[in-house]
Amino acid sequence: MPELADRPPSAAGRRGPKIVGFLCDWAVASQGLVRDDGTMRDLPNVTLIKIPCSGFTRPAWLEFALRNGADGVFVCGCPLGDCFNRYGNNLIGDRVEQLRRRLERQKVNPERIGALFYGKHAGAAFVDAVRAFSDRVAGMPGPAFPPRKPAPAAAGPASAAPRTGPAAQDGQAGAPAGREGT
Amino acid sequence: MYKRLLAGLLAATLRVDTLVARVYPDDFNPLYYTGGLANLFLTVLVLSGIFLFLYYTPSFDQAYTSVQFLTLDVPYGQIIRGIHRYSADGFMIVVLLHLFRNWFTERFRFSRDEPWISGMMLLTLTGFIGVTGYMLVWDQRSEALVAMTANAAAQVPLVGGWLRHALFGGTGLTDLLLPRLLFLHIGPAVGLYVFLWWHYTRIRHPKVWPPAVWTLFALGFVVLLTGLIPVTSQAPAVVSQRPQTLAIDWLFLTPYWAMRFLPPLVLIALAVVLIGYGLYIPYQLPETRSELGLKDSGVAQVIDANCTGCELCYYDCPYNAIVMVPSPNPGVTKAAQARKLRAVILESRCVECGICVGACPFEALELPRLLQKDIHEKVLSACQS
Ligand code: SF4
Ligand code: SF4
Repeated sequence: MPELADRPPSAAGRRGPKIVGFLCDWAVASQGLVRDDGTMRDLPNVTLIKIPCSGFTRPAWLEFALRNGADGVFVCGCPLGDCFNRYGNNLIGDRVEQLRRRLERQKVNPERIGALFYGKHAGAAFVDAVRAFSDRVAGMPGPAFPPRKPAPAAAGPASAAPRTGPAAQDGQAGAPAGREGT
Repeated sequence: MYKRLLAGLLAATLRVDTLVARVYPDDFNPLYYTGGLANLFLTVLVLSGIFLFLYYTPSFDQAYTSVQFLTLDVPYGQIIRGIHRYSADGFMIVVLLHLFRNWFTERFRFSRDEPWISGMMLLTLTGFIGVTGYMLVWDQRSEALVAMTANAAAQVPLVGGWLRHALFGGTGLTDLLLPRLLFLHIGPAVGLYVFLWWHYTRIRHPKVWPPAVWTLFALGFVVLLTGLIPVTSQAPAVVSQRPQTLAIDWLFLTPYWAMRFLPPLVLIALAVVLIGYGLYIPYQLPETRSELGLKDSGVAQVIDANCTGCELCYYDCPYNAIVMVPSPNPGVTKAAQARKLRAVILESRCVECGICVGACPFEALELPRLLQKDIHEKVLSACQS
């Protein structure tokens, strides 16, 4: 799994926690909410990634984000029951629940993973919810994943490890091979 | 113009949703269950209709009396007749809500035109069934309806006479009339289920029932209405005299009210235009994804080497666009060695929603222009910034 080995343990405290959000194309309209680089106008610590439906999100991507330095991740779909694609938001709601339970067993605070449901014109409510989520995450200590012993196979000291680029075939929600501790 | 109107209607619909959502939690919002409510009312209609059918006699001298007997003398007859009548109104109301909601929220887009088309057919049939139902009672309203319909049908150029014959069994009031009307009430009701099958084929896990609370509420409301405003017949039809007034049920009989102002031919033409336009709605805005300002991610593709035949995508695709077929050979990855099935995408049904991608735990599905690799890159650059 690719990583950002030279990243500080947590960006919390610098300018708020680093948050990655997956936003469905049919849910909250992103015009006026995001800057060109994908960060939210009101919350520069939150980056939104547009996806065709909230149900498109693989739970493994949420875990991937947490393992690579995000302090919190969330998915936003339409209000439950009103998914443009009928069930996408219900499905991702369930999957997020499962992921939370699974990561909780690995000592990750489940509150770091969120599922939000806001309709196209509910932009203000959405921003408030993201802010609340971000504040909650900001109050959590340390990085998302508890520190691990450096894996013996890892190449070199953490600060010098080059990023190998996304290894596309990885990401199966399994053991975080070679995660450099903090 | 139409586009701007549609955008406004979408905003209005969503605003109504938010208002309703203040009262009910999202998963109990009745507006999300208009289809399920329609099916509920239809089921009630069929069950109560069977009861009414057992007592109804389709002949001139006995139709009215059999309905009166059923209403006044048969235990619970009055209630069941009322339930049949008010469920029909309820059915029409939720069907119209269903239509407008799905129209304004643009749920006819991409490959979702088939539910829309079958829905228009269902609506047309529903109107027809409602009118024939009012005719069966054979009171003065029924007679007026038959006369007006026969008159209108006869005016249609070329096929008018034939149409009238087909509907009513000949000119004037023939003995065939009521048996034929009975069939024209029940036959299309069976037809509803044929179109419903079509309505559902491209939909996985259709919401056929509303939540229990709404089922109870809808049934209770219908029964309450039955008790408060009992359904009665008007005076029996007297063939020698034309009835002068027509009690209008606005949900089904509005065209007959309009006949006071417009010649029947204009009304028929209007109906044809309306239905024709309804069928055209899904094709009116042939916008591609990029024209809508969305990313065109492409139809989902199975990476055959990884597919284990676990069927998860098949259960989760909301549009029934994935079929499982027997797999002649194992896949390449370890997990895919023992597979008996593999997933195949029916591309014409795929709306590129990507839900199957989220469903597949074996990374065997991708949207070609929004790969897992792309998402990983986006996540990494987001974490880096
Ligand atoms: S992207 Fe997948 S889930 Fe969505 S319609 Fe296509 S096959 Fe079905
Ligand atoms: S979910 Fe993935 S592995 Fe399972 S059948 Fe579908 S494509 Fe194959």
